[in-house]
Amino acid sequence: MVSITSNFQSEAPLHPAVIDALGAVFGQSWADSAKLPADSRKARLLLDESRETFAKHFGIRSDGVHFLGEVNLGFFLGILGLIQPESTFSYSAIDRSEIFAIAEQLRSQGMQVEELSCDAGGVITSPVPDAKKIVAWQLRNGETGISQPMLADSALQIFVDATSSGLRNPLPKNWRTALWDSKAWGGPSGLGIFAVAPDAKYRNPIPHLDNRIVPGSASLPLIIASAMALELWSEREQAERNHLAALALLISNFAKSEIGDVDVIAATHDLISLSFLYIDAERLVGALDRAGFAVDSGSACQATNMEPSHVLAAMGTLTQGNVRITLHHGVTEKQINELLASLKALVAEQRAN
Amino acid sequence: MEELDCLGLRCPIPVIKVAKHLKEKEVGYQISLLSDDPASAPDLAAWARMTGNNVEIKSATSFQITKLSD
Repeated sequence: MVSITSNFQSEAPLHPAVIDALGAVFGQSWADSAKLPADSRKARLLLDESRETFAKHFGIRSDGVHFLGEVNLGFFLGILGLIQPESTFSYSAIDRSEIFAIAEQLRSQGMQVEELSCDAGGVITSPVPDAKKIVAWQLRNGETGISQPMLADSALQIFVDATSSGLRNPLPKNWRTALWDSKAWGGPSGLGIFAVAPDAKYRNPIPHLDNRIVPGSASLPLIIASAMALELWSEREQAERNHLAALALLISNFAKSEIGDVDVIAATHDLISLSFLYIDAERLVGALDRAGFAVDSGSACQATNMEPSHVLAAMGTLTQGNVRITLHHGVTEKQINELLASLKALVAEQRAN
Repeated sequence: MEELDCLGLRCPIPVIKVAKHLKEKEVGYQISLLSDDPASAPDLAAWARMTGNNVEIKSATSFQITKLSD
């Protein structure tokens, strides 16, 4: 078995302190936080503390914070929960496929739906203001790291996709619903954090008999572990941000000057997308894996449907030979230099054949 | 105009074949390419931008390429 010496995939292993705490957390928070007995009261306290942690870091009210056991359900709740009789829906060409699926469904039900294009810099065209318009707005793109400008118009009904940005981008002032993925701050997978703004006309679109905002079956131990991971990530991010930015610059400069024939998207401090001409990404990702480096790719040969990344294609960026390098906390310059040396040799080898 | 048939070939092979074919040709040389790979349209456009050549999309599977630089 190949041992991975350096992980540059979007997912990161759980923080060791979170792994250590998980056992104890499962032991303490098994009870139903909605019931009366002492163990339930303890569970409720832990839930409330976690909710406060998320609210503090997101800069929102804690009573608007809810938890989902299925992250992707949040796209459905966040968009369909805002629908009113006269609503229209806008989304962008670089949104996630879950949003494309919702757009397709709304379109088939007769709703007016528009797809917003993006420019070569990956910036989405701002929608025309309209109080009836629900807009799915990603704060940061998961494939390119490109952040979107703030939507200033308060008339729009904005569902914020913060699944990739996590804590990196602040919420726009006029958000109505928002979704985060616990994985964005190195927290456990399988947990979504869903928020509803105090002024939102939100109605839970899933059949329900009480006043619940979300189904409410998320795992309490995972919520607690995720809140802990969020605190740790936030602290470390402040300390490492500049270091990561320097490494990101090193990667993009090296790719352009030492490898060449490459489309580089270096829009943020911790995610770099490199597309190499004349390169088969599947072979490159496999060869890097054998050399001990795990990276992601948006190329067609790496996709289950064999289609190139709709994000790269919408931006006019080369889709072949794509590798995506995520810089996690703790990555060293030595690791980056080793990755770059490997990348240069493997690209040269493929191009020579 | 010569025709390069890349039907059934997946990325990055059509772009590699185009680049190899143009290598020894004069500036101004034109070729027609057939490719049904879904990555060909975005990737030929990106290739043209990156290498200083020109691609015209004729249909979903047909492209006209003009060599504009060595």
